[in-house]
Amino acid sequence: MDIILGYVTTILVFFFTYNIFTLGLNIQFGYTGILNFTVITFMAIGGYVAGVLAMPKAAAGSGIYYILGLNLPWPIAALGGVLAAGLLGYLIGQIALKRLRSDYLAIVTLATGTLLYGLIGNGTSIFDGWQGLFNVPQPFAGFRTWTPLGYSIFFTIITAILFVLLWLFANRIYKSPLGRVMRAVRDDQDVVEAFGKNTFKVRMTAMVIGSMYVGVGGVLTIAYITALSPAGWTTGETFVVWAALLVGGRGNNFGAIVGSFLVAVVFNEATRYLPQIPAHPNLIPDIRYVLIGLAVILSVYFRPQGMFPEKKNTFLEVPLGDSSKAIEEHLGGLSKVGEQ
Amino acid sequence: MNLFFLTLGFGLVTASVLSLLSVGLSLQFGVTNFVNFAYGSYLSAGMLFTWTFSAKLHFPFVLATVCGVIMTAILALVVNEVVFEPFAKRRKSIFYMLIVTFGLSLLLDSILQIFYGVGFDKFPIKQSAAIKVGPFDFTSDQLLIILVAVASMVVIHLLLTRTSLGKKMRAMSDNPDLAKISGIDTKSVTRATWAISGALAGLGGVVLAINTVYFETTTGDSLLFVIFAAVILGGIGQTYGAMLGALVIGVVTEVSAVWVSSAYKTDVAFLILVIMLLVRPQGIIASQGRA
Repeated sequence: MDIILGYVTTILVFFFTYNIFTLGLNIQFGYTGILNFTVITFMAIGGYVAGVLAMPKAAAGSGIYYILGLNLPWPIAALGGVLAAGLLGYLIGQIALKRLRSDYLAIVTLATGTLLYGLIGNGTSIFDGWQGLFNVPQPFAGFRTWTPLGYSIFFTIITAILFVLLWLFANRIYKSPLGRVMRAVRDDQDVVEAFGKNTFKVRMTAMVIGSMYVGVGGVLTIAYITALSPAGWTTGETFVVWAALLVGGRGNNFGAIVGSFLVAVVFNEATRYLPQIPAHPNLIPDIRYVLIGLAVILSVYFRPQGMFPEKKNTFLEVPLGDSSKAIEEHLGGLSKVGEQ
Repeated sequence: MNLFFLTLGFGLVTASVLSLLSVGLSLQFGVTNFVNFAYGSYLSAGMLFTWTFSAKLHFPFVLATVCGVIMTAILALVVNEVVFEPFAKRRKSIFYMLIVTFGLSLLLDSILQIFYGVGFDKFPIKQSAAIKVGPFDFTSDQLLIILVAVASMVVIHLLLTRTSLGKKMRAMSDNPDLAKISGIDTKSVTRATWAISGALAGLGGVVLAINTVYFETTTGDSLLFVIFAAVILGGIGQTYGAMLGALVIGVVTEVSAVWVSSAYKTDVAFLILVIMLLVRPQGIIASQGRA
């Protein structure tokens, strides 16, 4: 029983973190049309920075090297991680968002991802190179004496609460005037510019908020697993998030949840139980990535709006003559939409 | 000073490799107007196909290279037929095309990995003799790489300026709609462009593998942004710009080893890319109406 419960909690944590990644990408791509081709790098930066802030100084002679090691309490370390991810988003935005071309941004994100992967992997003194960080202190570990299962359940609840808060915030942005401008930028940047909006600022806001979302996911990942190494954030993981968003429905946060569930949990977990072929240990992961790549291409071809398309806005149409009734009806309809 | 000439020599070799690759990417971008993020996979495919022909089927190396390059061109053609052509028919926005090529890179890389596995391979060729040319030290292979690249650039130049296909490609690159209503069969020009782009990727991959000796399935992807840097430096979609960009990136990244550790070669390319995007995003040779 305990084993099953432990498995369920792990899957739930996994599900919520991937959801947070997908929400972050949705704010960037679904709301604003920013092509971020290195989602997982923001997760890594968030996780690594939170890790080195929470860990004690690297012991001399242990063969493990990392920067900082400030031994800070978890809330501050987590905040540091999230801010670091946001800062990376800001820097990338400064380089590439001023241009109109969406492919330049895509190139810069991809280049940054490749670069940081190499730098962090080869630079053994930053985050311990290819070995990665491990023995990261668990948050709330000193709270009381946890059983492993009790801790897992507790952590799942924390993750769930964070996810709900972030979900509400993402929805709030969507409905806000800022969200409206974001979507307008996505649909036609020139028109928005002509209306006197600072499109660079809007896109930068979306870029930074989205990066911080992914950073939160990264902090949760390293806090739960207590380890992070470059093998845990290969380019393939970025595609998982993209596939989740595209399958679920870009621009629709509910779609993002369904997509994360289908791609990150059901698909990833199901392929884990395929029989291993001893002569080809990488065959199953490779096939998994082939299918994820296919999912991305096919969903763009057959249903680019995703399983749950973004809701069309309803606008007030006032007929000639007595208009009070029409306005009332419209407002009634609006509140119904709000309740959903 | 010795070190400077040594690295400059390496720089010329790297520039030769890059020129093949960046011209292939740029040519295709000019005609189809979207960036191919799966280009790194084509490159890897080129060297792996050649490896199969030479190491497994024991073809003579030159013949193996020719076969590998043709196979890569066929791969690019097939991908265009199966993937890009249907999307073009549906007139999907460039936005989605980028996502599709991005997804395609994962797909192709994983398929290559299924067949070739992880880990490094090398071509079954002997280490070549060192030759001194003026102040430079080359190996005979490196001289051959430079020769192949220069010859290819001349062929591309003649293709673009002297043949009807080249003129059609330039017309499409300038204005695809106008080219279409002027009676140019845009579909077959697109096909030819993909074949050339794939062949250059394959050839570039093979000479890259000769130069670095060891390679694996992800070699192409790790080099992809260096190619992008060269292409953006020269002006995206500009064939001659791509040659120039490749020369600058190749020489600068190698010569930088005089001052910084050569482990950071590609980071130097990234730095050039960033500076270029901040200062002159349209590239050295700017095209009109873009950027």
